Amino acid sequence: MISEEIEKLEKEVWKDFQKIENLYHLEDFRIKYLGKKGKINWYLKQLKDFSLEEKKKLGSILNQIKEELETKLKLKEREILLKEEDKDIGLDLTLPGRIFPLGTLHPITKIIEELCEIFLKLGFEIITGPEIETEYYNFTALNIPDWHPARDMQATFYLKNGALLRTHTSPMQIRAMLERTPPLRIIAPGKVYRCDADIRHSPMFHQLEGLMVDKDVNFSDLKGILIYFAKETFGEIKVRFRPSYFPFTEPSLEMDIECVMCKGRGCKVCGNAGWLEILGAGMVHPEVFKSVNYDINMWQGFAFGLGIERIAMIKYGIDDIRIFFENHLIFLESFK
Amino acid sequence: MKVPLSWLSEFIELEIGPEEIAEILTMGGVEVEAIEDPYQSLGELISVKILEILEPQELKDLVLCKVTDGKETFTVLTTAKEQVKLDLIIGLAKPGSMTFTFEKVEIKNIKDYKSYGMFLSPYEAGLGEEKDKLLILPQDSPVGESIYKILGISEKVLDLSITPNRGDLLSILGVARELNTLTSWKFKAPYFEDFLKEGEKFPGKIEILDKEGCFRYAGRFFRKVKIKESPFFVQKKLWLCGLKSINNIVDITNYVLLEFGQPLHAFDWEKIEEKIIKVRKAYPKERLLMLDGIERELEENDLVIADAKKAMVLAGIMGGEISGVSEKTENIFLESAWFNPKRIRKSSQRHKIVTESSYRFERNIDPEGVIYGLLRATELILKIAEPEGYSEIIDIYPKTFFPPQISLSKQKLTKFLGFSIPSEEVEEILNKIGWVKKTGYGFQVVPFSYRQDIKIPEDVIEEIARIYGYEKIPITFPKSSLYSPEISAQLKFEKKVKNLLKSLGFFEVITYSFIDLASLEKLNLAEDDLRLNFLEIANPLSITQSIMRTTLVPGLIETARFNFFREVNSLKIFEIGKVFFPTQNILAKELIHLGILIMGYANKEVWYEDLRKFDLYDLKGYLTSIFENLKIDIDFVPYSSEPFLKRGISFDLYLEDRKIGFAGEIKNLILKEFDLKTNVLIAEINLEPLLEKQKEIKKAYEVRKPPKYPSTFRDVTCILKKEIKIGEILDFIKILSIPYLEKVSCIKIYEGPPIPEDEKSITIRFWFRAQDKTLKDEDVNKIQKEVAEKIFKRFLAKPR
Repeated sequence: MISEEIEKLEKEVWKDFQKIENLYHLEDFRIKYLGKKGKINWYLKQLKDFSLEEKKKLGSILNQIKEELETKLKLKEREILLKEEDKDIGLDLTLPGRIFPLGTLHPITKIIEELCEIFLKLGFEIITGPEIETEYYNFTALNIPDWHPARDMQATFYLKNGALLRTHTSPMQIRAMLERTPPLRIIAPGKVYRCDADIRHSPMFHQLEGLMVDKDVNFSDLKGILIYFAKETFGEIKVRFRPSYFPFTEPSLEMDIECVMCKGRGCKVCGNAGWLEILGAGMVHPEVFKSVNYDINMWQGFAFGLGIERIAMIKYGIDDIRIFFENHLIFLESFK
Repeated sequence: MKVPLSWLSEFIELEIGPEEIAEILTMGGVEVEAIEDPYQSLGELISVKILEILEPQELKDLVLCKVTDGKETFTVLTTAKEQVKLDLIIGLAKPGSMTFTFEKVEIKNIKDYKSYGMFLSPYEAGLGEEKDKLLILPQDSPVGESIYKILGISEKVLDLSITPNRGDLLSILGVARELNTLTSWKFKAPYFEDFLKEGEKFPGKIEILDKEGCFRYAGRFFRKVKIKESPFFVQKKLWLCGLKSINNIVDITNYVLLEFGQPLHAFDWEKIEEKIIKVRKAYPKERLLMLDGIERELEENDLVIADAKKAMVLAGIMGGEISGVSEKTENIFLESAWFNPKRIRKSSQRHKIVTESSYRFERNIDPEGVIYGLLRATELILKIAEPEGYSEIIDIYPKTFFPPQISLSKQKLTKFLGFSIPSEEVEEILNKIGWVKKTGYGFQVVPFSYRQDIKIPEDVIEEIARIYGYEKIPITFPKSSLYSPEISAQLKFEKKVKNLLKSLGFFEVITYSFIDLASLEKLNLAEDDLRLNFLEIANPLSITQSIMRTTLVPGLIETARFNFFREVNSLKIFEIGKVFFPTQNILAKELIHLGILIMGYANKEVWYEDLRKFDLYDLKGYLTSIFENLKIDIDFVPYSSEPFLKRGISFDLYLEDRKIGFAGEIKNLILKEFDLKTNVLIAEINLEPLLEKQKEIKKAYEVRKPPKYPSTFRDVTCILKKEIKIGEILDFIKILSIPYLEKVSCIKIYEGPPIPEDEKSITIRFWFRAQDKTLKDEDVNKIQKEVAEKIFKRFLAKPR
């Protein structure tokens, strides 16, 4: 019976199909079953001698097999072709890639950018100003007259023409207040200079000054801002506030953070204190407001100043400040 | 400021240990830098056992002892022949240590014998008066142990860092008062017997001629004092504070200075001409030989203590050699004064002399302390210098000091601190710093005379906050109107340039703003070059950091050298920083420059490419990328005028008609002078004009659409003379206005056989595209043919 034969053929076809492993098998298979003289065509040709009804029935079975086979063969071929490509042993995968190295920003720049971002979030404006200053802006306007012993706190470089290299970023308080009307919130990062050189002191270093003046900002607010800054910079960390003295703030304070090395137990880095001094701050001294003609009955404010290198040294565990300005490639590369 | 706790406890009952006291002071604003034990600081003063005693003939009075410290056996020479015995355990100062008498102990060689240290007397060990005896330790003491540990002796000394406003804390008494303020521990105020205040008639005359320089001048005459060594208790206290003992009178002045903060000065009465003491301005060019052996020329603003004829003392700063107390002195005049802090400060700065006395005067002393100091000194002189008599106290005080009356409203206090402290608590705090009166609105405070730093309400607020405790102050956030400030265009621009360079693989460096003149001179600049017109530092730390930079070049080269000598053979660095130029005014012109330096190899030694050195095309390429990203057209004009660059390998950089910088390879000779043995290319650009130009740019991006029709390219390859520049050809092509030309570039240059030696072969590729159709081959061929012919004709080139 032809229909039984066709049934047999179908079984044979799928059995054979399972055996296809490469393109040669595939081609042989195609010729055997789907070729012009292939088995399916042979049976189709045989059908001409059958009744119309049987022709229709058996023809559709054969065509179905043919169609399914064609689809499956296409998939099979793709599968084999993809597998073929995996057969190549490929490259020496242990070789390094072709490198297009990126550079780095200087660690000091990185810290300045981080700090600026913290204060930008609080709506502080970033300003910059001259590094060569006059006695007036650097000292006198900040309530440090020339006879004041507080001048000993900052060993000053003078230029031969009588100007000086600013010893702190605090002159920016004066410049900012003269150029603006309150309320104001500014930070001023930049280079400062002092005649001092050892592993903890560099004759040139960086500071960031902050100043906020408004009708109602007070000493408690200063604590709030400084604690926010400390958390943003160092993460969850203990801080403490000590009374201190700066001629341009009253009351004045210094903020310490718990030593990051020993977690307050006392070590070489913190001089066994368990604390690291991080910044100075205070409420703007009325004499400073007077020197910029702000009404001291209307405005009050706070100012703070911190050393960038000091923060970088604490954050990155650096024990010699001079390394920042030697700019050795290996040091710079560590900040990738 | 050193504060021995034993001395401090004479004025306040210390209820807790040194660490806790240090904590209280630090948190009160008096920073304790260290807690020291001066005995421990002396070094190795240890117990040793005598093993053998030898008496070599040639050593005469000396004996040689073999001793052990438990680890080693060594020899020690001593004169105490009678006292040394076998098996005795005694105190020894090892080489490298120091004794109570400030003597540095070293290894001594006498004849052929060596002494590894020195046997100590109780006096040399700082333990007692006895000088001629050896310090003999209990027989059961361990050897090699600190003698102080064995004897259970220790002295804790606080090392305080006093802020410049708190001159009142520069004394033991002042620190005791402060501790009392912070803790309320029992304060033991000094007390003086009445007889100390009276005395014989003063045998001389005192005049204050400069009342602006001297606010109060007091003194007393002592008859027939015995100048001798101070008793041990005085010496020890001075030693604990780091001072050397001189003689009893000088020691007393130092003692009172340390204890009360009142500087005193003792004069030899016989040296005072006509027994007149004048406080006056120095005469112009008046000379004074001072205690440090230096004769100084004074000027009118200096304040001196003079007699009828001459200046004797630079007031408040340093005594004169002639009028000082010596061993022969019998009668003395003891001065206790209050000088104008500003005048003392200025003189001390002018003459560069800082003394314990000037340090205190310039930070202001207690006006009332003038008399207390004199009384305390009298008490001590009676005790240890046995005078035959003393005079009344002369006290010239032209204008009595009245402390300010400061009004502080409760409202201001609350507004300033941001929270409120109960009135009773405020009053209690204020009572510790002055006399307080409650008023309707708040308080009126009259600070005690020693608190010269409290002048305005804000000072009082600080005292309240400080004594209340900074830690207890609440933590709040400011309430302020919301406004969002602009970020400065300059900072944005700098950040952009920095990030561009970082992406191009450059490392940012920061070099000093001050440079060495020698390194600037090495650049071979013309005499009239503006960069030689620099600002000079009057007091540089070193000559290598003595002028303000006018160019970033020296700093970058020095950085390259630093790296080169530390195994770096490939470097790409940049710096953005200021250069400084003098102006008519005192302020400088500060310009922000960008400096770029590349050195050595352009790549690392890797498996995929050959090592090659950086050349000008690297530098030019980097700069082109940067300028393209900044959307600023910069012209690379060949042959820089910079004398330190190789003429043929350099450009001047122009923005429109203005030179804004340069780029090129540094001359070999100059590199050699910088001691750099590798290739270095450098560029420096003034960023200000670039920033200005960038502000003009309106559109952020020129947006182009993807092409609708395909492009096609044609190459022209030809042979021409070597000296013809590719740029000239490209410029020539530009003016030809070739239709459909989209882009043109030189893709190949070849020199060498078979091309003749003075010629080169080049390939120029032309890309064509029409916006409205696909170009036909024959149209492009036609255009191409015409262009090629024009190029051949213009540059005398042959097709290849």
